Amino acid sequence: MRVISKSIFYGIITTSFLFSTVAVSKTQISWWNYSNEGSGLNAALTQYIQDGFNSSQSEIELEIIFKEGEYNEATRTALLAGVGPDIVSSSGATYVAKYVEGGFLKSLEGYAEKFGWSDKILPWAYNTGVFSDELYSLPKNYESMLYFYNKTLFEENGWSLPTNLAEYEALAAKIQEKGLYPFAYGSSGWQMTHEHLAGNYLNTVAGPDNVYKAMVGEKEWTDPEFVESLELLKKHMLAGYWSGSLENYYAVGWDDFSAQFQNREAAMLQIGSWGFEIATGLDGKSDDWGWAPLPILTEEGGEPNYQLSVGGTLSINAASKNPDAAAEVLNWILTNKDTIIELTKSRNFGEWLMPLYYEEADFAGDIEPKLRDYLVDFSERTGNGNYGYTTWTYYPPEAGTHIWKDMEVVWAGDISVEEFLVEQQKLWEKARKNNELLPIAAR
Amino acid sequence: MRISENKLRGAVSNHIILMTLALTIIMPIMVLVFNSIKPDEEFGINPLGFPETVRLMNYYDAFVIGNYAQVMMNSLLLVTGTLTVCLTFSSMAAFSLAVLNPNGKATILIGIYLLVGLSIPAQLFILPLFIIWKNLHLNNTFIGLILIYSALNAPFAVFLIRSYMVQLPRELFEAAIVEGASTFQLFTRVALPLSWPVFLTTGLVVSLAVWNEFLFAVTFIHNEEFKPISTILYSFQNRREENYALISAASIMMAAPLAILFILFQRNFIAGLTSGGTKG
Amino acid sequence: MKNLSNKEMTSWLFLAPVLFIHLLVVAIPSLSSLALCFTDWNGFGKINFVGFENFLELFDDRVFKKAIIHNLIWTVLFLTVPIALALLAAFLLTGVKRFQMFYRFVFFFPYILASIVNCLIWKYLFHPIHGLAAFFKDIGWESLATSPLTTKETSLYAVAFVDGWHFWGFLVVIYITAMYQVDESLYEAADIEGASKWQTFRFVTFPSIRPMFLFSFLIIIIWSVPAFDYVYILTSGGPAYSSEVVANFMYFEAFRNMNVGYASAVGALMFVYVFTILGFFWTLRKLGWEI
Repeated sequence: MRVISKSIFYGIITTSFLFSTVAVSKTQISWWNYSNEGSGLNAALTQYIQDGFNSSQSEIELEIIFKEGEYNEATRTALLAGVGPDIVSSSGATYVAKYVEGGFLKSLEGYAEKFGWSDKILPWAYNTGVFSDELYSLPKNYESMLYFYNKTLFEENGWSLPTNLAEYEALAAKIQEKGLYPFAYGSSGWQMTHEHLAGNYLNTVAGPDNVYKAMVGEKEWTDPEFVESLELLKKHMLAGYWSGSLENYYAVGWDDFSAQFQNREAAMLQIGSWGFEIATGLDGKSDDWGWAPLPILTEEGGEPNYQLSVGGTLSINAASKNPDAAAEVLNWILTNKDTIIELTKSRNFGEWLMPLYYEEADFAGDIEPKLRDYLVDFSERTGNGNYGYTTWTYYPPEAGTHIWKDMEVVWAGDISVEEFLVEQQKLWEKARKNNELLPIAAR
Repeated sequence: MRISENKLRGAVSNHIILMTLALTIIMPIMVLVFNSIKPDEEFGINPLGFPETVRLMNYYDAFVIGNYAQVMMNSLLLVTGTLTVCLTFSSMAAFSLAVLNPNGKATILIGIYLLVGLSIPAQLFILPLFIIWKNLHLNNTFIGLILIYSALNAPFAVFLIRSYMVQLPRELFEAAIVEGASTFQLFTRVALPLSWPVFLTTGLVVSLAVWNEFLFAVTFIHNEEFKPISTILYSFQNRREENYALISAASIMMAAPLAILFILFQRNFIAGLTSGGTKG
Repeated sequence: MKNLSNKEMTSWLFLAPVLFIHLLVVAIPSLSSLALCFTDWNGFGKINFVGFENFLELFDDRVFKKAIIHNLIWTVLFLTVPIALALLAAFLLTGVKRFQMFYRFVFFFPYILASIVNCLIWKYLFHPIHGLAAFFKDIGWESLATSPLTTKETSLYAVAFVDGWHFWGFLVVIYITAMYQVDESLYEAADIEGASKWQTFRFVTFPSIRPMFLFSFLIIIIWSVPAFDYVYILTSGGPAYSSEVVANFMYFEAFRNMNVGYASAVGALMFVYVFTILGFFWTLRKLGWEI
């Protein structure tokens, strides 16, 4: 009966649609990815990865399928039902941890050993995919939080980048006097934007050492350093540092703040490294731009750090019929640095910047020098242990949602920063009790 | 004479009110139309006004990048399939509730059941449904999606059609029974022909729901070739760079077939009235 | 008549196909989901039975309480403004011959557009820097100079406004379908007796479309329960939960906080609410109301 009904359904589909069937002899590997047709992501991935891999050998046929909307949800539903693609992509460690818990992912430990993956990927990024001593995901791109600024505007007004809290607030005041916004930014269309700011203040006011201690349970989130960090953020938010006012910040989205930065409505942009995409939009206009790591916002200032983040992962479905072939695909990606650099370049380095061991020679040719400087500086500083922690790579699910969702309640004045942090602490304790903590890069 | 003067004055005031209401819709829609012919770069500075440079290529781009021809065919198939299944089943049920057994316990129970069904958010049942569909091999098939859409739209369709059939004169059915009509003939020969206006409206609403449906489509369809039209808007929209120009152009192209459907269906509707739709 | 109403069996046969697909697609999956309300399942791992813990926690959840109140406000808003507008427009439309199709098309058009498109239009109309708010700021009306979507006093109403703006034309079409059933001779009689417009509406039109009206009334109450997409797209419930509604809350718990058991408890309470409403209508019916 099952066989009959199946063949009927397939019959109807094939008669309605004459889709070309690929040669049967090849092993089929499917991969679901989020879709961004409008900016050309789909075409770029198809060209560089799918076609690139398929033409490199004749055994395996890779197909990338683009899922519109909330692709993590479609993926999770399929994984729960024991189907889904061979190669599972996700938005980060939070999802990987849950997929591992559900037993949906295949351990990559054997492949990592066989192909020597740990020699190819930066250690901190590699470790974000290790759960109970086994590798389950590869980092697809790494990110950090940065300042971008309008260099020409800064020179015209004799402004310089701040190095401590006093300079930071003085600069913001000067910029506001000019009738400009200190920073272009807003959360319309992406409420999670709040966590960028929260993470920035936690890492530059309380500092990464304290954040680390709180994450591993040696400190409490209700301690004064953290209260001070978020009080400062609230003060600056209400002072209109980001797009003029709290209300404007809520109303402004990606296109708006890009335009603000590119059209001299704002002097700076405090955003992730994906902001290179916006900054390069100034190329060809009369203004020059620059970037800098976030300054330390204490009285005495200090050595800046880069917050670590893995913004996307690749894994193999436990239900995959051809895990070996899927691993071949992953290994092809890791061993073709040139292709990956081409791909990430076509995305203005906003996506697919894989945390691999890059050498100077890898960036020969026409790569944007400012970006190369960033990549070099990032590996130097983080190599020296100067790194902080982004919320979306290191926070367990509920604490990670709370940090941005309830931040609005603090800004609205409905609860105090202390009350907010009491709840944070509770959620961390709950996650610790339920063994939901993610792998944390040690200090 | 007095009456017609009254009528004339009435008609003028009718038009004033209706036009005011219409303008509250036309003006925002004009923004959409402007945006569909605006270069994307212009959005950050001029999101509302008429474009400085008109870019009709947005439509071409949306058509090509969105693979419009194919996704539209897929959606047409889904709409046709759903209309067939949903309207057949729903009209039978409505007939049962409105004519066969209008005051029975069953009517009330089924009515409550279907109304409760309307209140369930998709997020609550999509996951178990996916598992059932996988076991029935209905995943990633149009039939599977058509069955889902038919079920989702059935309660509304049943109630809408029932509300209309309840108002049909009982004498007509009694007369048919005297002439020896079977129950099935009462349905096909009396109820259906008399209820056609409500079918036009129900058909329109169901078509629209299917055409714009996204969540079930993206969850249950896993082939690039099977994607329906609602996915193209979302493929132009992302956390980073919402391409408003392409979204606007794509959304107008997406609405066009439905607009035509509306005009076709609702025109007939008026024609039906003037030729005496109520005479039965 | 006997002949008709005795066919209990036949009436069930006519109902069977709809019931079958609806049970399969909606009821069975929903019930299996609701069974999770007594567990702490996170959507991935082990399932533990926790009794009524989820419900106790829910009754203590300030966001959930807020969401319930917002849903009630939402229901009242939709039961008044769109219905009144649609009745007015539909009634006036039956009185005009010219441009009738034009008006109907215009009123219905927003309902044709996908929700993300409608939201996009209004997000920009409300925009504080580019939209109408900027215009009001220029002419000195400071109180209107921010987007109503971004202040906690107005966000819920702003979202309801956008949703209602797209929805009321749908009601026009529904009502006009019913109004065409009204016997033309009744209007003629009213005309001859010199009835005013209001009297015509009150004594001719409205009684005739009563079943359709009650249907729309009931369906708006029911549809307000899972109201989700406009909230999700426009504000995601913010700022500071000022536009949070129950369905968005549930979605959030299930898919972001990974508390599937907790979300199922929300679903269960939604059921209780809907049953209460229907019980209320049923009582009215028993008391002799024609519904």
